[in-house]
Amino acid sequence: MRLTFDVNGVGQQADDVWPGESLLYVLRERMGLPGTKNACEQGECGSCSVYLDGTLVCACLVAAPQAQGRAVRTVEGLATDSAGGLDHIQQAFVETGAVQCGFCTPGLIMATDDLLANTPTPSDAEIREALAGNLCRCTGYEKILDAVRLAASRRTEVTP
Amino acid sequence: MPLPAFTLHRPRSAADAIALLDEDCLAYSGGTELLMAMRMGLIRPTALVDLKRIDELNTITLGADRLLIGAGASHDRVAGDALVAEHAALLATAERLVGNARVRAQGSIGGNICFAEPRSDVATVLVALDATVLLQSASSRRSVPATEFFLGPYWTAREPGELLTAISIPLPAPAGVYLKFQTVERPTVAVAAVALPEGGYRIVVGAVGDLPVSADYAQLTAVDAADLAARVEPVSDLTGSERYKRHVTEVFVRRAVAALAGGR
Ligand SMILES: Cc1cc2nc3c(=O)[nH]c(=O)nc-3n(C[C@H](O)[C@H](O)[C@H](O)COP(=O)(O)OP(=O)(O)OC[C@H]3O[C@@H](n4cnc5c(N)ncnc54)[C@H](O)[C@@H]3O)c2cc1C
Ligand code: FES
Ligand code: FES
Repeated sequence: MRLTFDVNGVGQQADDVWPGESLLYVLRERMGLPGTKNACEQGECGSCSVYLDGTLVCACLVAAPQAQGRAVRTVEGLATDSAGGLDHIQQAFVETGAVQCGFCTPGLIMATDDLLANTPTPSDAEIREALAGNLCRCTGYEKILDAVRLAASRRTEVTP
Repeated sequence: MPLPAFTLHRPRSAADAIALLDEDCLAYSGGTELLMAMRMGLIRPTALVDLKRIDELNTITLGADRLLIGAGASHDRVAGDALVAEHAALLATAERLVGNARVRAQGSIGGNICFAEPRSDVATVLVALDATVLLQSASSRRSVPATEFFLGPYWTAREPGELLTAISIPLPAPAGVYLKFQTVERPTVAVAAVALPEGGYRIVVGAVGDLPVSADYAQLTAVDAADLAARVEPVSDLTGSERYKRHVTEVFVRRAVAALAGGR
């Protein structure tokens, strides 16, 4: 089948898509967007988090044909305003040392973006709840919590 | 790993979806259970019916004496809905605690109960609230109490040609507390403790055994946590042995009863 959808604000088309492909596969293997990671393929690790029509989903649990006519935003599409630079959440992850091997980072950044969009000044409990289900094997999570707090404080500075 | 091939239908109405459903053509709601089961080869449908574009399955409405929740409503939608908060707050509480942010955004209340994974927050609360589920096929329409809908792990009273259209909660719905113990993706033990509108109390212990266990009591002081823990049939797995889970069950029943008695 032909899949026509919007990826990070640009209309895209993929031909000969096998209906059994996941959205994750299409993004990585057909769109050349490897930022969205493939780890568990079971909805349990959060590495494949993307927005589908503004809703945070596991791309591994979305059948590619379900994205037909819809808009997908990936980690590559976050930093749209700052030509090639990082957006403020990505910057906060770098500054706090919340990135070690980096495999979990794109998923955590998408989950943080979703959290801060809905809850601009989250409590620690809210941060933990929002990021539950994003697994990290390296950091021990403390620095990730620091990154989210830093990003939240900067966001409130920008938009009082 | 790609899934085996299937045809995807995208109807806009429940009637069109029902006309398609059968043993080989399954409903596809959030896909959080379905796609995994297909990838693991546990089920091999030749066609899927995408329910996400059917608006009538996503409504939450208030009837004369019932709250009707469309089967396609996501966990987030139910958790954040004003009618649910006002009339069935216990369900909102449980829905806020399901899985993780993506599962709550993507997964639906209907998909949860149709899949009938035993470790379900939703099933536990629906039994506590005396909910019924509405099933519709090309030739019939029926309403089944939650206690009769769940038959076992991954097994419900739904026939292959039936679409779950909505969940119906009789009003006034009992109020109470919902506590669960969860260390990984799904609950180890879930306890709902409610004061029944007609008087008396109900304790439902879910997620720990194959089916929720429910018991009614005239007085809260009559609740025997050890007896309830003896009645559930936990499965030993990575989250604990049978003995451990019985222990956690007893502790959580006691905590839920104490919280209900304390008016929390
Ligand atoms: C990582 C993870 C963590 C989770 N944690 C929890 C948790 O803590 N608590 C909990 O309760 N659940 C948990 N779940 C389960 C989650 O609630 C369910 O996956 C979700 O609600 C299922 O809904 P869905 O819309 O994705 O169903 P789908 O996967 O789309 O469908 C599931 C099944 O139901 C059938 N179906 C769906 N809708 C209908 C309908 N309207 N009529 C007839 N048949 C239908 C489908 O054909 C399929 O067989 C978790 C799941 C994952 C992946
Ligand atoms: S790869 Fe999708 S959640 Fe792990
Ligand atoms: S930084 Fe390595 S998994 Fe998180």
